[in-house]
Amino acid sequence: MLSVQNLTKVFNKGTINEKKALDHVGLKLEQGDFVTVIGSNGAGKSTLMNAIAGTFLVDSGEITLEGKNITNWPSYKRAGLISRVFQDPMSGTAASMTIEENLVMALRRGESCRLRKSISIKERAFFREELTKLGLGLEGRLTTKVSLLSGGQRQALTLLMATLKKPQLLLLDEHTAALDPKTAQKVLDLTCSVAEGSHLTTLMITHNLDHALTVGNRTIMMHEGRVILDLKGAERSHMSINGLLELFEKASGIHMHNDRMMLTGAM
Amino acid sequence: MFSQIALGTVEQGLMYAIMVVGVYLTFRILDYADLSVDGSFTLGAATAATLIFRGYNPWLATGIAFLTGCLAGLFTGVLHTKFKITPLLSGILTMTALYSVNLRVMGRANVSLLQARTIFSDFGKIPGMQEYGVISLSLLTVALVGLLLYLFLQTELGLALRATGDNELMIRSLGVNTDAMKMLGLALSNGVVAFAGSYVAQNQQFADASMGIGMIIAGLASVIIGEVLIGTSSIGRTLIAVICGGVIYRVIIALVLQLGLAPTDLKLVTACIVIIALVSPRIRSKIFSLSSGVRGKGANYAKCSESNQSLQ
Repeated sequence: MLSVQNLTKVFNKGTINEKKALDHVGLKLEQGDFVTVIGSNGAGKSTLMNAIAGTFLVDSGEITLEGKNITNWPSYKRAGLISRVFQDPMSGTAASMTIEENLVMALRRGESCRLRKSISIKERAFFREELTKLGLGLEGRLTTKVSLLSGGQRQALTLLMATLKKPQLLLLDEHTAALDPKTAQKVLDLTCSVAEGSHLTTLMITHNLDHALTVGNRTIMMHEGRVILDLKGAERSHMSINGLLELFEKASGIHMHNDRMMLTGAM
Repeated sequence: MFSQIALGTVEQGLMYAIMVVGVYLTFRILDYADLSVDGSFTLGAATAATLIFRGYNPWLATGIAFLTGCLAGLFTGVLHTKFKITPLLSGILTMTALYSVNLRVMGRANVSLLQARTIFSDFGKIPGMQEYGVISLSLLTVALVGLLLYLFLQTELGLALRATGDNELMIRSLGVNTDAMKMLGLALSNGVVAFAGSYVAQNQQFADASMGIGMIIAGLASVIIGEVLIGTSSIGRTLIAVICGGVIYRVIIALVLQLGLAPTDLKLVTACIVIIALVSPRIRSKIFSLSSGVRGKGANYAKCSESNQSLQ
């Protein structure tokens, strides 16, 4: 499925601010894997996602998805295979456009836009059906501008948009972090049901260690641009949050009172 | 006498409204303040006038004027997207370059079209159109341009263009090449502006190297006036608004002239209109926040501490 080999990315090379954001990262995801990614700030989680999505090109290493080597593809070309949800609820939708216009753009993800009528009656019915599944009452508001929706509604809509046309890989970058706890839980439940229902391969960054262990089937931990822990199967199901923190200290080789505080504090 | 002035003003207003539709496309849809408009307006006028002067068919000349405008917009687009020059500077560079280009196109500072065959003289030959030929053709054209743009903005390509101006990050992550969209929008916009320039030149029967100066500000003023007076609840409504804005702007200018101001003061008046239009929402919201500020802050604070509690 997704295979990342020896990925390296250095920011501000040759300057005093040089930062090795990715340090020979290797990762293999099987079809249908739902992997949660944890690690302290600056560990390289988001950089890894941006590298996979093509926000920038990497210095060295190789990214293959579905047998295609996408290492040098521009981001808009990768969009045919990969869809993303960002942390900021405002960044995933076009505010001045209506719900149905946003949805139809998502439905055409990765296709070339043509000079034809954008939304058919059949598609409108399909949108209504999909919006009903969100349970937010948006199915009756297809022609409402997105700017009138709340942050939680917008994030739920973004999630729907990301999965409307089934992606080969779904990238979630702390997509519930900016929501209030109740809405966050709802969006997370939606995420799980969509990912399971469509058997999506998913990579999800989270700062919530509880979610990291309970959501999905695999957990990886990053530190200073490297993957330092990869938990799955029985080892993962028997893991506790405290155990995870201990493993983090052992694997990173640093005694981390500060990080312990930071990780638990973020829950 | 009065009716003739009024007719002339509306005629001109309708022609400038075509230009305003072009400005709207970049300024509002693409969220890009494109200053090349000053140059491309003149480019359209110069191209059409020169071709007509040399004996070409005026309808063909008007079409070619549109295409040269597209090229000018494309140039601005390449400067911005490929060479990463800021929007404002790319527009200024194109505008400056076009000043020389326009003089080259005409071969001198102005071209006269007196007695020449133009699209208006053609249209005036239609029975019953003699007196109202100019206004009919202008009205028809601006309606057609507005309708075409409206239909275009509903297509997939149009949606991608609007999304590029609204949320670039999002539409790129959906697989749209935003650089191409910006170049498309700039080319179309400047094409429409040059098209309007060719109309104005044929109506006033001359083209002049400096006729485009201040055109962008006039365009922005028209867009803002229309939006304030008519509203922006949907694309169709906004398009009607900016077209009306173009006409209303010309009416205001005509009234100011009637009041006795010198034509040379017009640019100052235009600048003042834009400043008032841009500043008034800010002042209104400031007054509003002064009256409700304390209460608003308190509510925010309560919300924060509430969510902090639920986190613990």
